[in-house]
Amino acid sequence: MRKVASIPALAATWCALLVLLGLTTASAWLNLGPGNLLLNLSIAAAKVALIVVVFMRLTRARIAVRLTAAAALFFLFILAFLSFSDFLTRPSHPAPWRTPGSI
Amino acid sequence: MSAHASHFESREHQRESAELGIWVFLATELMFFGPLFLAYTLLRLSAPDAFAAASRETHIIIGTVNTAVLLTSSMFAAIASRSAHLGQRRAAIVCLWITAFLGATFLGLKAIEYLDEWQEHLVPWLGFQFDPLHAEGAAQFFILYFAMTGLHALHLTIGVGIMVCFAWQLRAHSPASMRGRIEIGALYWHFVDAIWVFLYPLIYLVGRYG
Repeated sequence: MRKVASIPALAATWCALLVLLGLTTASAWLNLGPGNLLLNLSIAAAKVALIVVVFMRLTRARIAVRLTAAAALFFLFILAFLSFSDFLTRPSHPAPWRTPGSI
Repeated sequence: MSAHASHFESREHQRESAELGIWVFLATELMFFGPLFLAYTLLRLSAPDAFAAASRETHIIIGTVNTAVLLTSSMFAAIASRSAHLGQRRAAIVCLWITAFLGATFLGLKAIEYLDEWQEHLVPWLGFQFDPLHAEGAAQFFILYFAMTGLHALHLTIGVGIMVCFAWQLRAHSPASMRGRIEIGALYWHFVDAIWVFLYPLIYLVGRYG
């Protein structure tokens, strides 16, 4: 039988998640330029890592499960890479769009 | 007692298959949410100032409280899963109800937020009004905002239904026979939580210092 996470470990993870939430919210009022987005996304990634490792126990899952998760990330990367290699290399950025008021 | 479907060798085999199955499902869900994040990235690159102006109009207090509520609910989902694993029926039922209650709280706060946004003319196509300088980009932001949070809320509604259903079933079934179901329900819940963790800074925290 697989070992289950202890209540203190789950509670500590919850505390860490709330501290990270506080940090990301507080940082929004500091003008860090592009650093704001970078910090926000890094903190979000750290929170998701905590959720995936401690709550979802992915690192203790069987290899087939870990491969499935890795494949999901890999295909998300392919999706993003191919889309951005199209959209970001076009001469103009603005997407074809009409404001809701004009429709 | 052998309480597993005939095409599985054992209850453990069935549980392991269910776990792999939910991860494959979550992988497809990532492909579902992924393009919305992609659209957000592209539109924000094309109108960074409008996205900052639109983000400042969102309700950061509700958004932040909701994030904390969802993170807390995830901990209770994890404890419910743990309790079912250890055969603690009462603890599992209580934690499933708390998880469902916190999910419903999130949805209630989200509904209040949507109502406020409707009254503030921030809903595209329904009397949308914004500073003309940023109106186009802000409309794009709010279309994505409603699409992403709406899709997330739909997932959470299904999650609340699953938690209530399992809490109810657990009254009549042994934790051992429900363990696999509760574990995959909790994995789904954590996934929906993780999506919100990325949505929160992209919706509420853009350009707050401006």
